[in-house]
Amino acid sequence: MSSISSSLEANEAYLREQFNNSSDVVIRSLILKDETIILLIYLDGMAKLQSVEDNILKPLIFSGLPKGIDPIQSLSEMFKREWVPLTNIKTGKSLEDLVHQILQGSLVILANGEASAIIAQVQDYEKRSIQEPQKESTLRGSKEGFVENIRTNTSMIRRRIIHPLLKMESFKIGKYTQTEVVLAYMQGHADENVLSEVKNKLNMIDADGIIDSAYIEEWIENNSFSIFSQIQNTERPDIVTSCLLEGKIVLLTNGTPFALILPFTFWDGLQSADDYFERFIFTILTRTIRYIMSFISFALPAIYVALTTFHPEMVPRYLMFSIAAARETTPFPTFIEIFLMLVVFDGLQEAGVHLPNRLGPVMSIIGALVIGQAAVEAGIISTPIIIVVSLTGVAGYSIARYSAFFPFRIIRYLMLFITGFLGFYGFALGIIYLLIHLVSLESFGTPYLSPVAPFDGKRIKDLIIRYPFWIKKGQNKKENVK
Amino acid sequence: MNRQAMLTSITLIILLSSSGCADIVEPNQLAFVIGSAIDHDENGIEVSHQIVIPSKISGNVKGGSSSDSENFVVISATGKDIFEANMKIQRRMSRRLMENHRMLIAISEEYFEKHDISKLFDKLNRDPANNLSNISIMIKGGRAKDFLMNDHPLEHLSTIAAQKEMDFNGMKNFSSRQLVIDYLSEGSRPLVPVFNIKESKVNNKETKQIAFLFGFAILDKNLKVKGIMDDVEGSEVAWMAGKETFQGVTIPWKDGNGTLSFKFTQLKRQIYSNKGDDKNRIILSVKAQAYLIENTTSLDMFEVDNIIEVQKYLNEQIQKELQETVDKVQEWGPDVFGIGEHFHRKYPYWWKSKKGNWEENFKEIDVKVKPNIRIRSFGTGGERLK
Repeated sequence: MSSISSSLEANEAYLREQFNNSSDVVIRSLILKDETIILLIYLDGMAKLQSVEDNILKPLIFSGLPKGIDPIQSLSEMFKREWVPLTNIKTGKSLEDLVHQILQGSLVILANGEASAIIAQVQDYEKRSIQEPQKESTLRGSKEGFVENIRTNTSMIRRRIIHPLLKMESFKIGKYTQTEVVLAYMQGHADENVLSEVKNKLNMIDADGIIDSAYIEEWIENNSFSIFSQIQNTERPDIVTSCLLEGKIVLLTNGTPFALILPFTFWDGLQSADDYFERFIFTILTRTIRYIMSFISFALPAIYVALTTFHPEMVPRYLMFSIAAARETTPFPTFIEIFLMLVVFDGLQEAGVHLPNRLGPVMSIIGALVIGQAAVEAGIISTPIIIVVSLTGVAGYSIARYSAFFPFRIIRYLMLFITGFLGFYGFALGIIYLLIHLVSLESFGTPYLSPVAPFDGKRIKDLIIRYPFWIKKGQNKKENVK
Repeated sequence: MNRQAMLTSITLIILLSSSGCADIVEPNQLAFVIGSAIDHDENGIEVSHQIVIPSKISGNVKGGSSSDSENFVVISATGKDIFEANMKIQRRMSRRLMENHRMLIAISEEYFEKHDISKLFDKLNRDPANNLSNISIMIKGGRAKDFLMNDHPLEHLSTIAAQKEMDFNGMKNFSSRQLVIDYLSEGSRPLVPVFNIKESKVNNKETKQIAFLFGFAILDKNLKVKGIMDDVEGSEVAWMAGKETFQGVTIPWKDGNGTLSFKFTQLKRQIYSNKGDDKNRIILSVKAQAYLIENTTSLDMFEVDNIIEVQKYLNEQIQKELQETVDKVQEWGPDVFGIGEHFHRKYPYWWKSKKGNWEENFKEIDVKVKPNIRIRSFGTGGERLK
């Protein structure tokens, strides 16, 4: 640590050396009326200079030292008392501190003969405005989504929870990126053990940079080798708010609109924000369908292979004839056929994600026509396979939280393989192994399958039926009204 | 960790490749047997399988068309028992026989006479491919194989037609499983539907050999045919045996002017022993709800008195008809109503002394039919047409 010397030249030399080859650093010296030299250093594009010009430069240049209630006698008094008409002002003592502040977009004022510096925090840079979240859209509910700027995000939460118990602790993570991570929780609601575990893990992160909250997620999750994610990510402030109120812990990362929520369970992944915005009876229907669909999304190809090639006696008579008729001319075994189509389907999906918008229609034509229609017409793939694979695909998309769908995509293949070898026996083995894995998995102390295993009768109701909010609180609505 | 992973994957690969794979049979390597026929042969038995050609049966699929050619093949072979005949058929087939989807087993009358049917069901019972949910029918007159060979004007296959014909007419309790249960229980005797093949004109251009339900065969303890009821009597027997098949009745009105037709639903039957010491007296109570469908008499059904009278008359008529049927069955001997089972439960010790020669003892039982039919609806929407 080298402290600021009173010689402006020495300071300037130090800063110029630190910022050599940095074209965006502006170092400007000014000679005031009394021949004092002051130095302004800032990053071009990072600082909003209007107020600095109005409140510091103009008075200094045109009318000497700023006059408030009493005229300031000297420049040194101004530095000492931080009498600068700006709100975010502090004084710096060390040169490293100055460098750091400049890099964050502050304006630093140095004066000849002064051993301190005024740091005006006038950071202001181009930000994305608040938009509707793309990944998790709902029919009803807030249209706000998080943005990259962490302060905008924290303000969105603060606006929703107006209570001092909402705490937001800040961490700086990443050797070079110095990414700000905010740990938000409701004091008293959140589990203290989980809190301290998260804090410990955050402090132990030894990374060069945090580009996205995904980096944090991998650093702090319990089991990185599981295909199931143990931390939820969302770009919806309303989800974050409700999770905070449930006692969950939220991590906001600067530079990404995706907030992390923990602990996270299997069933959380199958829920949707819409479940809480629509009428609760309707929610029973949508949830049931979503559960069925999520089962279909990983099990249907396997079940199809098991039924048609291992246990054809289990298929209803006429359905079996139709399947047999469709398969009459196809060259590949059912297992290979369905595997090929799944690969093609996942390929299309992967291509679709990365494709520039304008090429989208092209791909859908190629995908639908060539793969769907032509393959069947040429007799390479049988029609039921196309139906099974498309149904599987559609079922996968019914899972509202997109990243909760990834594990199902993997399980789909695993189940297909083991069933292709062993029939329904293999299917049962696969399911058993999956369940063993799920019950042994934990997300920050919460069993991954809770409240189903371990069983919790009260909370399990919320999995199937979302009771009206007033029942959930155990209150009688009519009495409340009185 | 690494070692463990290696071991796991090697075990898995060995496990998976050494087992299971051989079980795979693609649907296009299977020959779906939809119906089987069993006929008498000098060597013992002739088994015929009706095998569907799937591409012909589901018309929309590419390559398959509903052309003139049939959508099934019948392949038959003879042997000492079913298994031997089946093996012979299999050797001639390019696909594996798949008997699980069988709907129906047709057995010729000749085979019933000359062979012990119970031995037939031994193989059917042992083979897991047979879930016994198929129907067993008897073909009267001709050979059972001919029944399979015929095509049907409406359905794809004659077996499907026969199965549907029984299904839609409420005869759902005639599976092979029911037959085996009846055979194994000492106090009741099986009832087997009988089909016969008749020439019938389906349209102006052609006449076809079509099998229709002829009636029901009443089998004794050794599964020998004791007598064949026609379809009306047969369905009455089935009703009284608790198999709910009776569909309706048309009775002429007292004065001989016009008839009344009823449709029956919710058929039930119960067996009671008469109060008193005489165990030989049995009351067979049958219940049903009747819907008046057709009324060509001059009765006005808006009159309550008429309703009561019709109901009373209906019960009398039904009683008369059913009693006749019961008497007929009793003459033949086999207890298809399961009255023996009732004794078995009610008077087990008495039953022990009787069950040895139940066929004969059944004839002595005094069975009284007591119908309880309630008219639910008259179907009258307004003033009757004059």
